[in-house]
Amino acid sequence: MRVKPLGTRTAPASIRDLFSRVRRGQTPAISVQRRQIPYWQEHGWTLEGTVYTGTYQTPHGSFQGWIEQERSGHINFFLYNPSLEIRRHSHWTCFQHRGSDWYLVHMGQQPKDVSSGIITIERLITEAYES
Amino acid sequence: MKKLSVVVAGTGQIRDVEIQPGTTAGDILHQLNLTDYLLSKGPNEPFFAAAESAYDKVKDGEKIFASTKAEVGVTVCA
Repeated sequence: MRVKPLGTRTAPASIRDLFSRVRRGQTPAISVQRRQIPYWQEHGWTLEGTVYTGTYQTPHGSFQGWIEQERSGHINFFLYNPSLEIRRHSHWTCFQHRGSDWYLVHMGQQPKDVSSGIITIERLITEAYES
Repeated sequence: MKKLSVVVAGTGQIRDVEIQPGTTAGDILHQLNLTDYLLSKGPNEPFFAAAESAYDKVKDGEKIFASTKAEVGVTVCA
């Protein structure tokens, strides 16, 4: 006889669990809740009082910024040390130097919320690199 | 029919919609009562024109963004 039975033993728990799942079929799906947070928060900006700090994120890099929301609702967007590509963009005249390499981005049409403004500036930066 | 999740950028609120062929970006914004908003696939993608068929541009189950209109500089700097 080429095979000699030596007895039986219990399979490891992981194997038993696997077979048990196969027998049971697919387990019920778990409903995963979607996070509903503003764009600025999702993209790592932080808010302290009325000032947001973070980075404008594009495929060409992240660009340091801060945003100030005035009591009136007016929002000021700042960008630190804009790159050469941004300085060459047709909208460069809309960047006003405010000292220490910080530039105020002048909005001809104000966004109604901070997130929309961040998206607008990210789009502008991307455009500057791709034009 | 395609299902879409429209994320309102300012609040993060997600609005689920189902659209039929030919549905435009304007139709979606109107239906969701998001006037003064624009739709895009993200900050690095162009905005959908209001009359443009959103159905042709999105995949089933895709997430798109609604953000308010904003323009850098136009009135003063252009």
